[in-house]
Amino acid sequence: MEITDKLKILSDSAKYDVSCSSSGSNRKNKNNGIGNSDISGICHTWGADGRCISLLKVLLSNNCIYDCKYCINKVTNSIKRATFTPQEVADITINFYKRNYIEGLFLSSAVIKSPNYTMELLIQTISILRNEYNFNGYIHCKTIPGCSKELIDILGILVDRLSINIELPSYNSLKLLAPQKQKHEILEPMSYISNTIKQNELEKNKFKPNFVPAGQTTQLIIGATPETDLKILKLSENLYQKLNLKRVYYSAYISVNQDTNLPTLETPPLLRENRLYQADWLLRYYGFKTSELLDETHPNFNHILDPKCDWALRNIDKFPVEINSADYFTLIRIPGIGIISAKKILKTRREFLLDFDSLKKLGISLKKAQYFITCKGKYFTNSYNINLNFIETNLISLERSSFTTNFKQLSIFDNLLPTKEDRIKCLTGNI
Amino acid sequence: MSNWKYINNVYLYDGTFHGFLTIVFITYLKKTLPLRIFTKSNYSPNFLDKELIIETDFKKSKRVLLGIEKNISYETLFNTYYSFLSNEAEKEIYLLKYLHSGFNFGSQINNKLFLPYVYKVINMKKRTFGEYHRLKGLLRFQEIHDNLYYSSIHPDNNIIEILGHHFIKRLPSQNFIIHDKKRNLCLLYNTKNYQIISSNEIEIPTISLEEQKYQELWKLFFKTISISQRKNTKCQMQHMPKKYWKDLVEKS
Repeated sequence: MEITDKLKILSDSAKYDVSCSSSGSNRKNKNNGIGNSDISGICHTWGADGRCISLLKVLLSNNCIYDCKYCINKVTNSIKRATFTPQEVADITINFYKRNYIEGLFLSSAVIKSPNYTMELLIQTISILRNEYNFNGYIHCKTIPGCSKELIDILGILVDRLSINIELPSYNSLKLLAPQKQKHEILEPMSYISNTIKQNELEKNKFKPNFVPAGQTTQLIIGATPETDLKILKLSENLYQKLNLKRVYYSAYISVNQDTNLPTLETPPLLRENRLYQADWLLRYYGFKTSELLDETHPNFNHILDPKCDWALRNIDKFPVEINSADYFTLIRIPGIGIISAKKILKTRREFLLDFDSLKKLGISLKKAQYFITCKGKYFTNSYNINLNFIETNLISLERSSFTTNFKQLSIFDNLLPTKEDRIKCLTGNI
Repeated sequence: MSNWKYINNVYLYDGTFHGFLTIVFITYLKKTLPLRIFTKSNYSPNFLDKELIIETDFKKSKRVLLGIEKNISYETLFNTYYSFLSNEAEKEIYLLKYLHSGFNFGSQINNKLFLPYVYKVINMKKRTFGEYHRLKGLLRFQEIHDNLYYSSIHPDNNIIEILGHHFIKRLPSQNFIIHDKKRNLCLLYNTKNYQIISSNEIEIPTISLEEQKYQELWKLFFKTISISQRKNTKCQMQHMPKKYWKDLVEKS
């Protein structure tokens, strides 16, 4: 098989993996080798679906022995199968990297023969890159569920980031859709990696190689199974707190297979995915807890308002916040004000008192924030009919205008062209 | 700075960073601010203007350079350099005011975003740095000779040198040329040191089969990796504006 065909088949099978970030590692260039890593990550291009492409995302093979119902590579699917040799992957990576097409490699694989055999192939590929080519760019590798710990130890030193995809957010769904995978096969290596990273941090010294310097991530599929947003977010919160994950990715389910246990969706639930990402950021950077955002009485996110706005409207007693005196953690809880704006406010208000005009001059968007703040004790308007309803209506109208694109310029002559009846009326004078 | 005199002068300099720092030195000494500052090459004489040509003096500019780092902050020096690379029309005047009040206020100057020139400088830095970061990813090399790589770019800001530093760190054993076609500048790197020269056209030999193979592979990968059910060209365009497309292998 030609290398072109292989790349086509194996990148096509890999595209449902969301993760493509290249951040978190600052591997230096050693001995005039090839490449280094940028701590903030670099996006190299953006695909037609608007997702950034920064890593060469391929499978080593899509020849899987498992039969997970949601997956395109399941053994019972009749798709074209291909397998790269480790050398081929290394060659493509190096040549793409030299031309600055990519930031590194994201290598994953279907399970060939057995988990351990697959892991050995992955290790072989990456050690060609690291040792033979002296490649210091970013490498993200998938761990195969059910492989042995010794192999994780070897792989962890070679790569920058490891990930194991949980995919299905509950035990029942896993049993239903991926009967050959065991829950403990996924969670055990995750906690093993997390513990080894912690231990490695403690024993850090100049001569010891870093173990998974960019941390580990995972992915959850949204919309294939009946879990609520609350359940999914609870799971991610636990993962962040207990396993110190760097990121949890959410992937809107795209129906690729026909199965009685799977829903048939016309379009992937992109809005739901977006809301989960917004909430995910609130958990990681804004100090929110899942219990604040969602509870049993409303276990799913609002379709129209983003999670932060939604929270603010439910906790309207905490507002308005005085911009000139509130602390950082209160500032970042105001809808429409993020980390950057909050830091700008903190910096500037030492020098002089802020009002609405100066906030605008600093480039801080007041579209949402104006309803929740006071400046020098003043609200943005002095009208008397401020109430929850007023704020909610205004926020919703903001969101609506960005959602719908069906508006068009009105024309005087639209729908006003004379019809046959009009013409007859003109003639008979019967108006 | 409030008691400084505005003088009806136009300063001309050679367009280099050191030339600009010499102006900072001279104006600080005289406590005067010129009306406008131009580079010698893009100034057209005007009978109302009194021009004054400032010769670059490395002794003076070095003192300013050290002075900024010592008396203001490293961050200010960083801001100054990055804003200086921007393509904003009157960047020199803004920077001059920024630096002079910087010598007044010390490192606090970067917190004074309500001063229009400070905000302007911070914004110019942000835009230059943003484009630099974007081009770190969007620049495409092609192999035109054995281990010699060429790339052409059309950036808004003059970022060729900082971009060069990034690639020298990243690919130290690779000879490369980065060609800024907007400014007709070329950065040449020969695995040991680099040089920036001005040049109009570079004749590129027809690409080899090997090069063609990888370009085709890259185009193929680019096409297959996007999910058709999630098509969102607006989002793509937001991240990757069309002005960069002519230099991209996958988009041209």
